[in-house]
Amino acid sequence: MQILIDTLLNSAMASAATALVAIGLALVFGVMRVENFAHGELYMVGAYVTWYVSTDLQLTYFSALVCAVLFTALIGAVMEVALFRRLRSNPVGCLIVTIGVLLVLQTAAVWFAGINRTLLVESPFPGALRVSSFALPWHRLFVIVAAIVLMLALTWLLRRTMFGWAVRAMAQDREAASLQGISIGKISIAAMMLSAGLAGAAGGLMAPIVRISPFMGQPVIITAFIVIIMGGLGSVEGAIIASILYSTFFTFVSTYIDSTVAAIAGLCIMLAVLIFMPSGLMGRTEKV
Amino acid sequence: MLELRSLSVHYGAVAAIRDLSLSVDAGSIESIIGSNGAGKSTTLRAISGLVRPTAGEIWFDGGRIDHLESKAIVARGIAHVPEGRRVFPDLTVEENLLIGGYLRRDRVALRRDFDEICSEFPRLAERRRQMARTLSGGEQQMLAIGRAIMSAPRLILMDEPSMGLSPIMVSTMAQIIQRINRSGRTVLLVEQNANVALSICDRAAVLERGSLVLSGTGAELKDNEHVRIAYIGI
Ligand SMILES: Nc1ncnc2c1ncn2[C@@H]1O[C@H](COP(=O)(O)OP(=O)(O)OP(=O)(O)O)[C@@H](O)[C@H]1O
Ligand SMILES: [Mg+2]
Repeated sequence: MQILIDTLLNSAMASAATALVAIGLALVFGVMRVENFAHGELYMVGAYVTWYVSTDLQLTYFSALVCAVLFTALIGAVMEVALFRRLRSNPVGCLIVTIGVLLVLQTAAVWFAGINRTLLVESPFPGALRVSSFALPWHRLFVIVAAIVLMLALTWLLRRTMFGWAVRAMAQDREAASLQGISIGKISIAAMMLSAGLAGAAGGLMAPIVRISPFMGQPVIITAFIVIIMGGLGSVEGAIIASILYSTFFTFVSTYIDSTVAAIAGLCIMLAVLIFMPSGLMGRTEKV
Repeated sequence: MLELRSLSVHYGAVAAIRDLSLSVDAGSIESIIGSNGAGKSTTLRAISGLVRPTAGEIWFDGGRIDHLESKAIVARGIAHVPEGRRVFPDLTVEENLLIGGYLRRDRVALRRDFDEICSEFPRLAERRRQMARTLSGGEQQMLAIGRAIMSAPRLILMDEPSMGLSPIMVSTMAQIIQRINRSGRTVLLVEQNANVALSICDRAAVLERGSLVLSGTGAELKDNEHVRIAYIGI
């Protein structure tokens, strides 16, 4: 029974973390038509900043989390201004450049903290919630709640504010958006900052419970790509739903059967979605 | 109000418009007619800053605008109803309209314009919460026009608003354009449907392969033999 409860909780937490990463990826793809392969490294940088600020600088975990978000958002802004902006009509160029950023960030992490150290971040919520005989680790619950809050905030921003309409308008028809006076440059910066900041937040939230390494972004970005393809490229809602379905499936299969089987099955599901619903689960109805 | 001086636009090495000069008087409806590929859309796109002219100047209200960003051009009071309507399919009708007023900060006037559009286009008002993709072609055209009005423009550029509409809808559209003009907005109307455009405009010009070949009042051009044969078909 404890295994089932654990697996459920782990599924929820994996869904939350995956969704935070995937919505940023979907947002940037939807708005800018850029597949950001460095997105997983922004997650990694978020974890590193959280570790550095909370241990070396000895600030609280929450200050560290805020720093992680700000720092990754800054990297996002720099990527847009220094790279993507110059390659606006060159999607392949953008893609190659994101792989360059991926390598730069991984190398920077290796240089910054070495490769064989174990980096530990202490959670502000140690211990576990005990319900009768079951233990629910507090930090996992916190990750879930924080992710839900962030996703609700993003949804509100995209659906209820003029800024959000401008972002969605740009995703739907960039030229028509310019004709309304929407500045493509400003919205692109904002989208990159939001996207990168969410990845940084995910990295910071997960820092106390995952192994921090320069390559921790790799499995995350692969999952995120599977999820946004399933969810319908560019659809934020689709990415959230697909994150929940995929992560729950993956967690259950790897707990009860085997994680390799889970990975293979996950890719098969993605292929099935692509074959039978080529525009994804949400692709037809709604974009960004 | 608007003046194009020897304007040329090239796509790569190919000229889409060549040495085009045209002026639009404040308060009028000016129309450009021409067949497919004549360069009508390109002319409007150059005015709104979507393409850069390779030569020539564009002046609006005493200022040169051919080097400005689209955003600055909208802010100066030029709205563009693009060819094929280009409403935002996954925004609601209301959101489409509000985004037309993206640069405006005067909430009261914005609200007044919004209400005016709702009474001008009751069909849009009824469908406020619907996604724009679910509207009919004619409704989408109204929405595109309403969205343009929301930016409080003094000049509205319209690219083939009658395209793909039923004959009844085409005459409704003509009345709408005239009402917009009577409420004080200058209109530059681009059309292949010469008959309607020439009936409602004050002055018109004929564009062929990127150059102006004729201009005059709507009535004059309607009587012109070349125009009758090439564009009206009688
Ligand atoms: N993005 C582009 N790249 C290259 N050539 C273009 C582009 N847009 C237009 N052209 C060319 O420029 C010329 C003028 O096109 P434009 O769209 O202005 O014509 P139009 O008068 O609006 O035609 P239509 O009535 O079919 O809309 C055409 O020969 C067209 O092929
Ligand atoms: Mg055209």
